[in-house]
Amino acid sequence: MQIPFTRPQASWTPDRASRLKYLCLVPVVLYDSIFFLLPLVFLIWIGFWSVENYRAVPGFSIANYSDIFGQFFSRSRYAYAIAQSVWVSATTTLLGLLLCYPFALGLVFLVPARLQRFALVLAIAPFWTSYILRLYAWQTVINTNGLLNTVLLRLGWIDVPLQIIFTQMGTRIGLLHYLAPIMILILYLVLRNIDQTLLRASENLGATLWQSFWRVLVPLSKPGLVYCAVFGSIISLGDVLSGIVLGGGTGKSLLGSFPLFSTVILNEYAASTNLPRTSALATLLIAMMVMILVLGLQFAAVDE
Amino acid sequence: MSHASIAQTTAQATAQTTLASPIPMTTTDLELCQIAKCYGQQQVLHDINLSVKAGEFVAIMGPSGCGKTTLLNIIAGLEGISTGAVRLRGQDITRLPVNQRNTPMVWQHFALFPHLTVRQNIAFGLTLGKHRQREIAPKVQTMAGLMHLEELLDRRISQLSGGQKQRVAIARALITEPPILLLDEPMSALDPHLRVRMQGELKRLQQTLGIAFIYVTHNQNEAFSMADRIVVMNQGRIEQVGTPAEIYTQPATHFVAEFVGNNNLFDGTVIEVNATTVTVQCPQGKIYAHSEQNHAPGDRVTAVVPADRLRLTPQPVPAQNIIQASLRGCEFMGSQVIYWLETATGYEVKVMRQEAFSDSLALPINAELYLSWETEDTMLLGERG
Amino acid sequence: MTRQHQSWFRHSLAASGWVYLALGYGLLMLPILTLVIFSFETSRFPTLPWTGWTWDWYRQLLSDGKLLQALRASLLVSPLAAGIATILGFFAAYALNRFEFPGKKVLTILLIVPILVPPLILGVAFLGLLSRINLQGHLHSILLCHVVILIPTAIALITLRLMQMPKAIEQAAWNLGATEWQALWRVVLPWSIPGIAGAFLLAFTFSFDEFVIAWFVSGFEPTLPVSIYNFLGSNLSPALNAVGTIVFLMSVLLLIGVELLLLPMLLAQPTKSEP
Repeated sequence: MQIPFTRPQASWTPDRASRLKYLCLVPVVLYDSIFFLLPLVFLIWIGFWSVENYRAVPGFSIANYSDIFGQFFSRSRYAYAIAQSVWVSATTTLLGLLLCYPFALGLVFLVPARLQRFALVLAIAPFWTSYILRLYAWQTVINTNGLLNTVLLRLGWIDVPLQIIFTQMGTRIGLLHYLAPIMILILYLVLRNIDQTLLRASENLGATLWQSFWRVLVPLSKPGLVYCAVFGSIISLGDVLSGIVLGGGTGKSLLGSFPLFSTVILNEYAASTNLPRTSALATLLIAMMVMILVLGLQFAAVDE
Repeated sequence: MSHASIAQTTAQATAQTTLASPIPMTTTDLELCQIAKCYGQQQVLHDINLSVKAGEFVAIMGPSGCGKTTLLNIIAGLEGISTGAVRLRGQDITRLPVNQRNTPMVWQHFALFPHLTVRQNIAFGLTLGKHRQREIAPKVQTMAGLMHLEELLDRRISQLSGGQKQRVAIARALITEPPILLLDEPMSALDPHLRVRMQGELKRLQQTLGIAFIYVTHNQNEAFSMADRIVVMNQGRIEQVGTPAEIYTQPATHFVAEFVGNNNLFDGTVIEVNATTVTVQCPQGKIYAHSEQNHAPGDRVTAVVPADRLRLTPQPVPAQNIIQASLRGCEFMGSQVIYWLETATGYEVKVMRQEAFSDSLALPINAELYLSWETEDTMLLGERG
Repeated sequence: MTRQHQSWFRHSLAASGWVYLALGYGLLMLPILTLVIFSFETSRFPTLPWTGWTWDWYRQLLSDGKLLQALRASLLVSPLAAGIATILGFFAAYALNRFEFPGKKVLTILLIVPILVPPLILGVAFLGLLSRINLQGHLHSILLCHVVILIPTAIALITLRLMQMPKAIEQAAWNLGATEWQALWRVVLPWSIPGIAGAFLLAFTFSFDEFVIAWFVSGFEPTLPVSIYNFLGSNLSPALNAVGTIVFLMSVLLLIGVELLLLPMLLAQPTKSEP
């Protein structure tokens, strides 16, 4: 295609000529570079430092890592903590999906339209109150002599108190209470945007409720389910509070009584204030999360 | 307002001004010179030349995607161009930023500021610079009077009807006393019954103000009822510039003839040429046309016959052009009836007649009828481009 | 299956759905109700049977001072962090929404990714940097770090609002003579107010609730969650319930804000800026 270059001129548009984009973006980019990228780079670097006379000394030594991997299965048993973290976060995420999806379905299909907004506000209300206080409240509920056990014993449904607190089931309860409002919100938004005539159409074509559910509703809400799964596993892997307050640090699970990896990082720092070593552990956690993200993305890509 | 000031030979005029010294031509308000626009590899405007006189109402018409809104955005400075120049009252504004142009626009969905009142919306253009508050108030009052908005000045935008919103949008655009007003399909968001009324009001407003209006639309009724001059665009090019009468009776290209919509097009070959009449052999039969252009036997041509020049009779009548066809259907639009017929060769023909409702019912579907028209109503176009 | 069977099946499905919803709401609300109710119980150990009503724990809370001081610290840090993040986020969201430029994708990822990194990692990382430049251990250390994790929230919510703005509105402002700054200030900003307010509320909540980063960098000026954590380690006290109730009342106020600002935005159907 020929353009008559009789009077060539630079093209001019407000968007291209504008310097506003630099003014808008430079502050935030500077801020994130200094207080986000720099610390992360620093973290990885500090992992190679050593400690002498209780002071971190810059340098390059792989002592931290060799130490960590040396104790991988022995005294500190990092491997078991990592396994525990993965196990708890996977099961918590799955439980969250299984519990929240029907709840969101109920919100969309049972609650009358004019009440849905209020119902949604009520469902996400816990999210706006303090997480650590909610965990504390759960403690009073699931304690050995807490509300739950008192009630169940009174009713005669159990003879000995249930041991929920200071197990990973306790950890999961705390995490689920944190995740549920957000999962419900995401799933609600996704389900609500599904064209409901599709369901009527599927029914009209002779599908049973069960078939409509599996063949129309679930595939269409898949994006929401994937978001929730990613969100749930990242939060559960990184959380420290539930594992300590409700899981008691080394809560028992099917795998055994091991702490979560995040708890290990926090506790080791609290005990030793050995920043280089903590940084090395945190770097390992980053590596873990990157691996999970890559695997998750590959899973999603294969699925597409 | 005189209609006599309409430029006929746009292309030549602009070609001259492009090369001539930058002495402002007092009667020309807007000039577009050899404008081309590319998005990457794709060229969306080709060699656009147009000059608009002071006080002229120009409608830019074309199908969606023809580049008409892009052209309007270029005049307003919202989009840049690849080559060419835009001049407003003799001043080259090609590289002038949008906010320094004073080429206000009336948007398709009005684009009123939802957080401001009607008064604040109208005053917006005056509150940006060095105007003082006491200068602004009377101007807003005058503008509100002109647009019949006095009662609504303290309303919020969400409380207005579509027609009221449009009047606010126009008032807001005119407050800075611009030399030109750009309108981007301003009627498309209105109810059909409102459109016709607004067309009249808009035309009256333009004549009162005496400034040029550039009106982009895909709707022919709007263009034909308001414009002094119509620009027909297709695929980024100007197909024809002319008065509504010229566009209607003398379409310059096949595209215009088809787009204007009331024409029947018959493709054929010239078989005989004499002093005044050209004979064209078409699949439908021989068609006699009047032509001032030079045609030679063997030329591929298209005969254009306006739908309202066709007569429809149950029996053959003495006429130069006559074709037999059977009736396939009719549409009633007030006192006007549109007949759809099909010739023996399967070609669809449209006929528009002013007729009483009862008369048209007398014709049964599939009735064999005769179409006839005069030689001077047949126009010839060269081979399709 | 007969028609009667089918409708019976549907009714029982709906009924069990309602039961499930009720159970779900019960579990979601259970800890909050426990907090509020047991903040008025006389017994030191929050358990049944109920022993009586008292204001003692609130009195103890007021006299103790540590938790209240932490609450004050939180009420200083969180609004400031949320405010800074919202301002930075507004300008970033505006630029990302309006302009196309090379590297935009990478930049967007950079700006959003802090919320995907676990706070635990960030806490260690912040401490590492801040301790090198002697900025650790104060309230402003928490402020600096919290802004980083709040920026993505602010950008996301304000972008959501900006995407609902017809492009023509800003163009109309330019077209009428406004400079880019005037248009930004007088048209885009008013339009974004619901998004900005919603972003501020959400950012405030995140900061107010954030534990790990604050634990690492706060030193001797703990925020409320850190202070509560220390409290949990030392002694259980219903004073925590009292704090919880106060915090809960604050979140009720937040929730009203959410109901009025955030949800209408999330539930709005996306508007097309151009037809």
